[in-house]
Formats: sequence, structure tokens, C-alpha cells
Amino acid sequence: MSEKEELDLHKNAKDVINQISVVVRTAQIHDANNVATASAISRLVSMINILLAQESIIALELRGEFFYINDYRIRYSLEYLLNFDFLVREFKKRELGSVIFKHQLKIDDVKAFTRAFISSPFSDEPFIAFEEKMTGLLSIEVGRLKKIVEDEDSLDVRKMIKKSYFNAVSYTKGVINKIKSGEKVNIKKAKRVMESMVDHILEEEQLLLGMTAIKDYDEYTYHHSVNVSILSIALGQRLGLSRKLLTELGMVALFHDTGKTEVPNEVLNKPANFTDDEWKIIRKHPVWGLKAILKLMKLDELTIKSAIVSFEHHMNVDHTGYPKARNKMELDLFSRIVSLADQYDAMTSSRVYSRTPMAPDKALSIMMERSGTQLDPLLFKFFINMVGVYPIGTLVMLDTKELGLVTESNQIFSTRPRVLLIIDAKGNRIEGRIVDLTEKDARDNYMRSIRKTLDPNKYKLSLAEYLL
Amino acid sequence: METSEEIKATKDVIQAILKSKKILRMYPSNNPIYIKTLEDAHGKFKEFFYYNDELQLKIKQNEIFYGAEQVYSSSEKEDNLALFFFKDGLREITFKKGLTNEEVESFFKVITLDFDTEVLDDDIVTLFWEKDFQNIQYVVDEAVLADEEDYESSAVVEAKEEANEPDNLMKAYEDAFKESEIEKEASIVPLSDRDLQALLKEFEKDSEGKTGKLVNIIFELMYLSETRQDFDDVSVFLMNVMQYSVIHGEIHILTDILSRLKVLNENKNIAEEIKKYLRKVMVYAGSEAVINQLSEFLDSGPDADEKTFDEFVKFLDKNAIPPFMKILGELKSIHARKIVIDALTYLGPKDLTLLSSGLNDSRWYVVRNIIYIMRKIADKRAVDFLLKTVKHGDIRVKKEVIRALGELGGTGVVVALRDALDDADDQVRVAALKALGNVGSEAAKRIIMERIRDKSFKEKEFGEKKDYFEVIAKWKDKEIFEFLSGVLKKKTFFRSAKNDENRACAAYSLGLVGNKDALQILNKYKNASSKQVREFTFSAIRRLEHE
Repeated sequence: MSEKEELDLHKNAKDVINQISVVVRTAQIHDANNVATASAISRLVSMINILLAQESIIALELRGEFFYINDYRIRYSLEYLLNFDFLVREFKKRELGSVIFKHQLKIDDVKAFTRAFISSPFSDEPFIAFEEKMTGLLSIEVGRLKKIVEDEDSLDVRKMIKKSYFNAVSYTKGVINKIKSGEKVNIKKAKRVMESMVDHILEEEQLLLGMTAIKDYDEYTYHHSVNVSILSIALGQRLGLSRKLLTELGMVALFHDTGKTEVPNEVLNKPANFTDDEWKIIRKHPVWGLKAILKLMKLDELTIKSAIVSFEHHMNVDHTGYPKARNKMELDLFSRIVSLADQYDAMTSSRVYSRTPMAPDKALSIMMERSGTQLDPLLFKFFINMVGVYPIGTLVMLDTKELGLVTESNQIFSTRPRVLLIIDAKGNRIEGRIVDLTEKDARDNYMRSIRKTLDPNKYKLSLAEYLL
Repeated sequence: METSEEIKATKDVIQAILKSKKILRMYPSNNPIYIKTLEDAHGKFKEFFYYNDELQLKIKQNEIFYGAEQVYSSSEKEDNLALFFFKDGLREITFKKGLTNEEVESFFKVITLDFDTEVLDDDIVTLFWEKDFQNIQYVVDEAVLADEEDYESSAVVEAKEEANEPDNLMKAYEDAFKESEIEKEASIVPLSDRDLQALLKEFEKDSEGKTGKLVNIIFELMYLSETRQDFDDVSVFLMNVMQYSVIHGEIHILTDILSRLKVLNENKNIAEEIKKYLRKVMVYAGSEAVINQLSEFLDSGPDADEKTFDEFVKFLDKNAIPPFMKILGELKSIHARKIVIDALTYLGPKDLTLLSSGLNDSRWYVVRNIIYIMRKIADKRAVDFLLKTVKHGDIRVKKEVIRALGELGGTGVVVALRDALDDADDQVRVAALKALGNVGSEAAKRIIMERIRDKSFKEKEFGEKKDYFEVIAKWKDKEIFEFLSGVLKKKTFFRSAKNDENRACAAYSLGLVGNKDALQILNKYKNASSKQVREFTFSAIRRLEHE
């Protein structure tokens, strides 16, 4: 298959997923025989049949939050975002994991599929009900959603992500030391580090975001830079940036605090709150960063973007931050993204601002107040959708009287993340067991729900013990 | 277990990779050898896929393995395929059955790059990553990225050092029952179509170039500057941005920088000490470093916008003259040369002496261009420099300088032009004659009249004679009228044909002078015995009657 054919196929695959979403949306309002639904179905049939002419089967599969067609992950563009998210939710409601189109489709086949799809979620066992209604339909086959279990493979992935994360921190440490000593910086390695991050974000976003929630390291500066990169890439991914732009975003985020290398250690590592004079020094770091980047990096597009972000990341959208510019300019998109990631990571860490880390959900609340003034409201909307109402690392009390830490957000059911239980219902400390708050009992009631959140910092809880 | 056929097919693939790596870099992609090499290599992959769905190659420092079988080995430092992949961290490459010809070509495009000598910002892994292959997968050892060995272990140990106190945890648990429920303040707001539209607009805005933004920021940096070092840094940054902008053809960025600097430089409230740094940047804009880069840009792509370029040149100083003259001789495109000529025409008056140094250039075409520029500048002070070039060895230069002198006029010019009338080359002589006509002075008139009166004149070619009479007609005064009438009337017994040529030209010239009094004389000769005289007289009469 030529590159062009492959691109076309990928585009067609995206269109097919979008069209299935359109069919479902339409059929939820009208009957499958209605003109609007019939027209959407007819279009879907012709689209799938085009693909079937090239491939013997078309297998649409939901894995995690992403759709795959014939094992290729379908990366969706912004225009399809809402329809893709909608379809992910609808699949999950029915515990539907895959739909396989085997032969040339007829309109009636898809009508039958649509009717089964629409009626199944009201059943106690939605997937079984769905499967039953599909009996006799030879051209379309459905499969149950696979439960994500901590198998050996996922443990390997965890290890790999941990390794990538620490490699990135180690690399950052090296770079910052180079900058401190005025050495020129070669960005080849930075690119490699970020490419790896981008791949992990695309495949295992939650695991990598989990790494950013651990704040128990001594070398805050390096971890903070990497965390801001990860959070920025994750947000960029939500915005639909290309892989190349995500890498660039990751790199500019990595260098956003370069100017801190010039802040004296006694100020930077001061265990108490800053004095006014110390704040004056701290507030110079965007300018120092800009200068360091322009001095130590070869001037190219990436250096320019890095310099801009370094200068602007504390300016605030309403220009109430620092440094104060004589001529007000609109902040760069990357600056606004990094600014969000920076504030969130800094607030949930123990080294800056009031020097007391905030609980992730509390940090989000404060950021919400700043949204529209200091922070870009549109990007914040995407950001909160990304980290979830209960971000990773949030300490939660469940209605089962179990205490746990959020380890993975749920993009569809935002109030139902995956939680690592650390104290059982009887008040005993337990070794980590992860539960999914979307799990239901036989009577279709959720088995666990969050009753309240607590501030892990108040109890000096180290997340490293649980998440590393 | 690998069969002997598989191993042979793998070795064939390796050989095809080695061969392609050498050959493909030597030919353009439409060359038949390039195409055939690529097809052959793809063919070897296809042969392998007959035995297995994927070809997984394990990369060691000096060897490549297929399964347990070593399929490549080299201990060389150069041209070692294993080491080539290994050094950037590649440890495994897998080619899958669906491998397309395009993927094979993309793969080779990466591995044929000269990573040792070319200044590349990316290594092989980054380039593979950017290709986003569907049927080529690879495993990379990321340890090469870390700065410290086993940083992970020490960081994890350190992070876990402060183990959670069981009491703290239990306290949290107890408090969870006591504390009132925390009301969630942050909530997820679903994204709407309007949000997506707004985001698309953001992307559109963000796709614009960033250099202008950086310039704004550097100027902000200047306003925030306090020490000499700060100002010096700013000046260096601006100079670097200038270089970058020229390379990328963003000439308007240079203009923007220079126009802002000009305003600041004219601001009386800014200290002279700071202005020194501003002027350093302004001068740099016209430096050899910038202008040389400009030369590459001008010659590299589509025609540059003349208006943008003119705007930029307006901010340059005379120091830009020598580098512009230097590139004038190097530029290949006519459009580019025109742009540089226009630039020098603008800059030349700032220092004519400096511009005139270009007249000593060893390349005739540069000298001719400089003369042309001086002619366009039309400053009489240029005459002294131009006069030195009249005896240049190249006729094309001589012609240009004579033309320039003719237009500029002034002391010394007439003498030089008179001398040039004796030049061995007829084109130079004609140019000098026309130049004298352009000078239009009495002295010039006298010279031409004397030449016509001279005995040797009638021996000249008819065409040259006609040029003389054409030029002298420019004066249109009484003296010339009488002079021409005299020539027309003049009769000789010897070599009358040559004399008739003079008479015919005089008749033609009287027509050009445009004095209707000439009709009376001309009518006398319309039936002259010389056919040439008759024809030219007739033509002159017609011209005068119809004017």
C-alpha cells in the first residue's frame, strides 16, 4: 500500500468512526427507519464498503480511551473530538469493546445493528442484551470490552514509563548543570527525551501523569521541569497538536524555568517563605531564562519558541504577572499552556508559593478562580478535562469507608476514577489494590463512590510509597 | 527457529541495505539507478516475507543478529552498519510484512544522511520517529539519554526514604469521618463546538512566524536593561535575530528592528552610552556577515520582494557598500543583481569614494555595474573616478563609462570623450560620439565639427559618418545650420563618392535639425546626380514638411 493510500485509509477510518457516532446520535432521536437516520446509515454503509474493498475485515476496537481499526490506533483530529468522545462513552455504557465488519454491508444489516445498539444500555447486562439482538447478523460481529487488568505487560509498561521519566529527569539535571556553567546546549538529546514522552502520553497518558503526581523528590527543579513538560504535552494532545508540535511543546516546557539556574541556591532552597527582596530575585528568572536560552542555544525555531515561553510563562493572560512589558502583547499559545502546567505542578509541590503543597483538587479550584484573568479560560477547560475532577494523587474517602489515592482519572465518568486502596473498610492498612469506581454490583449500583477528598499533605503522606 | 532460507534472505536484506546506503545518496530520486536500487532492496524484503511476517534485527555494537544467528559483523569504525544504528541507541529494528515501497525509501532517506559531517539537529532515532512508520518498528535504549547512570534507583530510594508514618495515615482515616464534606469547587465543563472553533482560531494565530514576537521581547528586554552587560547582551541577541531572519528570508524583521533602533537613536532622552549599543546593531545590519547571508537568500529561492528590500536598505549605512559590491559579482540571478544594484544606487551617495573602489574590481561586469550605478546616482563628483576607467581593457566597460560621462558631463569629460573618438573599436567611438552629444556643450560641438571637417573624415564608414551628423543635429543652432548647409553644397572632383556620403549625411542632419529654412537649400539638391544625396535630401524634405 502506498503512503498516500495509507493516509487515505486512515482518513477513511476516522470518517467511519465519526459516521458511526453520527448514526448513533441520530438514532437516539429518531427511529432507525427515519429519513435522517437512514441517510446516515446509508452513508456509513458506503464508507465501510469502500474500506472492505481494500481490507478483508474492518475491526473497530476500543482500547482504553482510544479506537483502533485493524490494530492501528486512529488518531482523531479536533473536528472529530466531540463525536469520538461521545462514541467512547456509548461503547462503555454497553460494555462494547469491538465491532467487526466482515462482508460487504447492506443497509438492513446496519439498521439491525443500530436498533440493537440503541436498546441495549437499558438492560442489566447491556453487552449480553446487545449480543443477543445481533444474533443471526452475519456481516457484523461484536465483542465485549476487555477489562484492564494489571497483567505482566502492563507492569512492563509501568516500568518502561518510570524509566523514561527518570531518564528525562536525569537528562534535565545534566542540561541545567550545563546551563549553570555557561556551556552550550545540544538539543538532540532533549528531542529524544521528548519524543519518548510524546509516545507515552499518546499510549499511556495516565501512567505518565501519575509520575508527575509524586512530589517527594529532593531535586525539585529537575522534576518540576519534566512534570511541566509532561502536563503540557498531555494538554497539547487534548488540543489535537501533531506529534511534532507536541515534541516542541515538551521541549519548550522543559526549558521554561531555565532562568532559575541564576537564582542563588540559598533563595531557591530556602525552607521558609520568601521576603520581598527574594521575590524580586525570583521574579527575574523569566528574563534570565530568556537570556540564557538565547546565549546557549543555536538560534532556530525551537529556541525562539523556548525563549518566548521562558519570558512569558509568568506574565498571565491579563498581564498582571511578571515581567511587566512596556508594550502589551498577547501571550503565545505555548506560553499559556506551559503557564497552566507550571502553576498546577508548582501548587501541588512543596517548594514554591506558600511552600505548603496543595491537594490536587484544591489547586484546581484555585486555578479555576484564576481562569479568565490570569489563566486562559479555554485552555483551562481542556486542562481540567485532562486531569479530571479528582486528579491523580488525590486522597479520597469512599462511601465504603475505604481510604484511597486516585491513580488514574476517568475521561468519560470524571467522578469515577481508578483508586488505589490504602485503608480498608475496617480501618486496616492494606497493600495497594486498585479499584475502578465505575464497577457496579449485581443490582446495577456503583460498588464504590467518592464521599470526600482529603489533603494528603496535611497528613504528610508520601505518594512515592504508593505510586512508584 | 530460523531456517537456512530465512537466514539467507536476511543476509540478502542486509546486503541490500548496505548497497542502498552507498548508492542512493549519490543519485537524485528520479535517476534510474536510484529507482532500481530501491526496487531491488524492497524486493529483498519481500523475499524475506515469503518465509516470515516480520524481520526482527537485533543490533549489537558491531554485529547484527537475526534470532540467534549473526547476519552482519564489522569491527570497523567507519561504514559499520551495526555501529551506525547502535551509537544512537537503536537496539532492535523490525520490518513488518506490510512494508511499502514508500517506507523503504523513507527509511533509506534517513540512513543515507551523512551524520558525521553534516550539521544535523536530529539523530537517526528522531528522524525515524518523525517518519512515524507503520511497518518499521524499533527499540531504543533510552539509557543513553540519562546523564547519570541508574539515576532512577537513587531517585526512587530517596523519594521513598520518608516512609509514611502509620499514625499519620490512621489520623487521616479518622479525620475523614470527622471532617465535614469538602465541596468540590472545580468541576468539568463539557467542551462545546464553540470551544473547538475558538481553538481552531488559536491554532491559526499560532501558525504565524515567531521571529517578530521574539523581536518584541528582545526590545522589552532592552527596556528592562540596567547594566552595560545587559545592553551588550541585547545587541548581540538582535544581531543574531538579524542573521536568522536573513537566512529565512524575513527581511521585514530586519527593517522592523532597524526602524525601532532608529527611533531610539534619535531620542534625546536616551544616553549616548546606550546609543552606542544601538548603533552597533544598526551597523551590523550592513555588515559582511549579514549581506553575505542575504546573497544566499537572494540566489536561493523565488524572487525577493523589491519593495520589502528597498525598505530595508533605507536603514543601512555606508558600511554596507563594500559587502554589497562583493556579492554583486557573485549573484547568479538577474533579479537578485538588480536588487543589489538598486541598493547600491541608494547607498552610493553616502560615500562615493567607497563606491568607486568597486571600479578597481578585477571582474569587468562588477566594474560595469558600478559605473551604471554611478550613472544612476548622477552625482558629478563621480566623474573623477569614472575618468580613470575610460581606458579599461574591456570594451563593455568602456562603453558604459563613456555613456556615464556623457550623462554626467563636467570638466575633463569632453577631452576624455574626444580621445575616445579615436578608439580602435567602432562601438566605443560611437558611444563617445553619442556621449558628446549628451554633454551638449560648445566644446563638444566644436570637437564634432572639427572631426567632420577633418580630411580623414570622409574615409570613415558611412554608418559612422551618419552617427556624427545625427549627433551634431542635436545643437540645432545657426552655426550648425550653416555648417551642414556648407557640407551639402561642397563639391569635389576627387573621390566624389566619399564626398557625396558626407553631403547625404548633411542633408539627413538638416532634416533632423528641423529648421524649415533648410527646405530652400534641400530643394536644390533633390535632383542631385548622386542617388544617395537625392534620397537623403528627399527624406529630409519630407521630414521638414511634415513636422
